[in-house]
Amino acid sequence: MSTLVTPEILRGTRDFLPEEMVKRNYVMNTIRAVFKSFGYGTIETPVIEYLSTLLGSYGEEGNKLLYRFEDNGGRQVALRYDQTVPFARLVAANHRELPMPFKRYEINRVWRADRPAKGRYREFYQCDVDIIGTESLVAEGEIAKVVYSVFTTLGFSNFLIKINSRRLINAILQSLGVPEGDQISIIRILDKIEKIGRSEIQKELAPFLDAKKSAELLDLILMKGSNQEKIQAVAKYGISEVAEFLDICADYEIPEKHLEFDLSLARGLDYYTGIICEVILPDIDIGSVCGGGRYDDLCGRFCKEKFSGMGVAFGFDRMVLALEELGLLKDIVTHTEVLVTYFSPETRQKSIFLVNLLQKEGIAAEIYFEPAKLQKQLKYADKKKIPFVIFCGPEEIQKHEVKIKMLKTGKEKTIPEHQLINYLQGFSGE
Amino acid sequence: MSRLRIAIQSKGRLQENSISFLKSQGLKFEINGRSLVTPCIDQEIDVLLLRNSDIPEYVHAGVAEFGIVGENVLQEKNTHVRILKKLGFGICRLVIAVPEDSPIQSVEDLEGERIATSYPKFLTKFLQEKGIHAAIIPISGSVEVTPELNLADAICDLVQTGSTLKAHGLKELVTILESEAVLIQSLHHTSESSFFS
Repeated sequence: MSTLVTPEILRGTRDFLPEEMVKRNYVMNTIRAVFKSFGYGTIETPVIEYLSTLLGSYGEEGNKLLYRFEDNGGRQVALRYDQTVPFARLVAANHRELPMPFKRYEINRVWRADRPAKGRYREFYQCDVDIIGTESLVAEGEIAKVVYSVFTTLGFSNFLIKINSRRLINAILQSLGVPEGDQISIIRILDKIEKIGRSEIQKELAPFLDAKKSAELLDLILMKGSNQEKIQAVAKYGISEVAEFLDICADYEIPEKHLEFDLSLARGLDYYTGIICEVILPDIDIGSVCGGGRYDDLCGRFCKEKFSGMGVAFGFDRMVLALEELGLLKDIVTHTEVLVTYFSPETRQKSIFLVNLLQKEGIAAEIYFEPAKLQKQLKYADKKKIPFVIFCGPEEIQKHEVKIKMLKTGKEKTIPEHQLINYLQGFSGE
Repeated sequence: MSRLRIAIQSKGRLQENSISFLKSQGLKFEINGRSLVTPCIDQEIDVLLLRNSDIPEYVHAGVAEFGIVGENVLQEKNTHVRILKKLGFGICRLVIAVPEDSPIQSVEDLEGERIATSYPKFLTKFLQEKGIHAAIIPISGSVEVTPELNLADAICDLVQTGSTLKAHGLKELVTILESEAVLIQSLHHTSESSFFS
């Protein structure tokens, strides 16, 4: 007597059924195509790494979230927590073989033993794109254009790329008398401004700045105005990279309405050193859907060579959610274009013949596996949203005809068999 | 100073009237049947004789600054050129027609049917605007004969007098484009060099 195993999955992980996968693959392939069009290749690193590679890279919090275990050989291993650290390790080990500057995209899963919540999973996709080995702002410009292209190609019309500069923030803090060692702590506080508001931020800044100075700081970074007005307001700090970056964005023909110089943008990660950015969708309350920035020393933990780089990570799952909400995924359907019905064992050969014919012409066709009642076969086509169903019963075979049913309208059309391919290939509409 | 080039049909419905029009504008030339580039007498102008369907592209690319072509060809090719004026000849219509005894009574009845045409792009646009899905069968010539050969249930073709349709037992269902010959100009040229203004 066998007892059944409960077919359950861990909290924070997901199963995806075909209909969901079609949509996810569509979004992933669209993003991939944009990356490729800019000349990005991809890499892949192992799912399990030595614990020593990953441990210590993510701060106190991150370390606690690593999925770690001892393998059968007694080695301390862990599932990758992000794509950046393995990327750094790969570059450290292979940089002589890689073209420099090196640009790559990576779309793969990562694992974090986080507390599951809405939009927060334990297993999820990261979608990164990075350029390393150059300090040129043209790299920042290209990344901005890639981001712009991804969102427009997917169909988003209302999105905002917020930008700021860590170099600038540091210069502002320095002019307020903040010692270099405290600057990163203040940046971590400023990163919370959206969540906790001005007065709370002021309280947290108290150990670092007196009330007058923190008010001055907050007035500056929360100022409203056009990008040019803000550039004027901070000109005295002598950091020109935001202005230069915006000029390059103009060369790349990124419409200015999608770019906002936001002095209050801080971004959470410590290691950013230059331009930082974040993308939000004003119409959807979902948080940021993409973010990143310039860093100075990618492989510091793994090798002596310094690699400066610029990169962003796309919030793939959030983007899929947003696309669903905006109705931009409703026309993405399953792949089969034609279902050939199976009328009876006598007509089986003809049905398979038609499937062969259609596939040879590049039309995705499948056969219903059993000679079941027509209603059942139509139901199957309906469930899979297959647009065309082809009947070939004894009557049609005798007259060298096929009957085509269009599921969307219910219309049926009988035509000579030899016209089948032309008919399907000439079909206008979806 | 480079010579001005004007493209017209090398043969077809519009050729005779195109030549008359150009001569009425003061051009002096004689088509000699051997050369496709006819220089005008005492003028820095060449008349190019081209296949109908090539005229829009030559003008779009700026190879010829001007051209005379039917709106039907222009719409099908969907090229970006400036239309200077309608010339009042070559008047015809693009229609959808069906056999006299056809069960198709309205445009909506075209759903799922086979429509033969030499204007697949324009027909697709028309059907999409109407929300109708049909199988478009592209045919380059003699479109009117397709229904009787059971290759199509309807046709989309150019009509002048309608006699060809009648001769094949077809009747008009709907006109989808009114067309006449137009004078077109390349977008590469500015209006300073405009000869016909």
